[in-house]
Amino acid sequence: MPPVHSGLQKEVFALYRRALRMVRTKPLSTRDKFRLFVHYNFKTQAVAVSPRSVSTVEHLIRRGQRQLETYESSSVTDCWVSQEMRDWRARERHA
Amino acid sequence: MLSTVIKSSSTRLVHRSFASSAITRQAVPTEVKSLNKEFKIYRWNPDEPQKKPELQSYTINLNECGPMILDALIKIKNEVDPTLTFRRSCREGICGSCAMNINGQNTLACLCRIDRDENKDTKIYPLPHMYVVKDLVPDLTLFYKQYKSIEPYLQNDNPPAHGEFLQSQEDRKKLDGLYECILCACCSTSCPSYWWNQDEYLGPATLMQAYRWIADSRDGYEAHRKEKLQNEMSLYRCHTIFNCARTCPKGLNPAAAIAQIKLHLAAD
Repeated sequence: MPPVHSGLQKEVFALYRRALRMVRTKPLSTRDKFRLFVHYNFKTQAVAVSPRSVSTVEHLIRRGQRQLETYESSSVTDCWVSQEMRDWRARERHA
Repeated sequence: MLSTVIKSSSTRLVHRSFASSAITRQAVPTEVKSLNKEFKIYRWNPDEPQKKPELQSYTINLNECGPMILDALIKIKNEVDPTLTFRRSCREGICGSCAMNINGQNTLACLCRIDRDENKDTKIYPLPHMYVVKDLVPDLTLFYKQYKSIEPYLQNDNPPAHGEFLQSQEDRKKLDGLYECILCACCSTSCPSYWWNQDEYLGPATLMQAYRWIADSRDGYEAHRKEKLQNEMSLYRCHTIFNCARTCPKGLNPAAAIAQIKLHLAAD
């Protein structure tokens, strides 16, 4: 049986998909940075926040939507990635 | 030790400079009793989204503070807790930044006097039913989007051949009570209809501005503007509750403006 997701989880998935689609609209040279940015933000929050704290997740979704709206603009062609994010990716790959 | 030194030197000074007047006749600074008042302020920090919002209590001496709630907030931020966050700008009720819910009433902190009763606390919350950005700062993005959707600017395809648009004094009078609105969002956020249908109902502040442009004799798009409001949600969610007129810190009456739009639409 496929896993049953709550409405809230589906909202998070929808936001994640939208973010990944945003990455595909960016120039090839910076796409990797955008992808890392999206992965880092989703995966670290997913670990840090309990799926039961509904109001927290709702707040993060709203904040994510607002952030994504800015990133989706075609005038945004590059994004900044911190050393922390790079370290996180290195750790993820080793794990 | 120190006090005795100061005392002896001051008496000597007094002796020298006020030789002709008796010490008892000189003005003494009167002791003002401190008037301690408790403020309970809504706190929520987006950096710790797991924590629930809470009321934090601050006690300040009203005799060392200005008369308005905004003065108290600034005093708290300056002297007690620099992390307290709120919007403020003009401190005289013309910018609409400091709109918040004070003792259950939406109003501007800069126009709201502090109740000087020591025994009662004052509760301060952000505007109700809005997403909170931090502490007393609400997210007004949707409110501004709605304002933008009514095209709040002069539209006329036939500008006068030369010079500016002219308007009779009677036509100008129609705009009184409408143009003074500072878009503080006090009225919209006090409206139950707006609480439940924020996404579709425009709300009293926006509708009053919509009427301001419908009523303007210089504007040529009256029909177009009315057409846009002619649906179930945008306008007709107003059930004449009148919270907007009661709460408006500028003393305007959005409900009357909405009634005027309804009249215009019904007459079409």
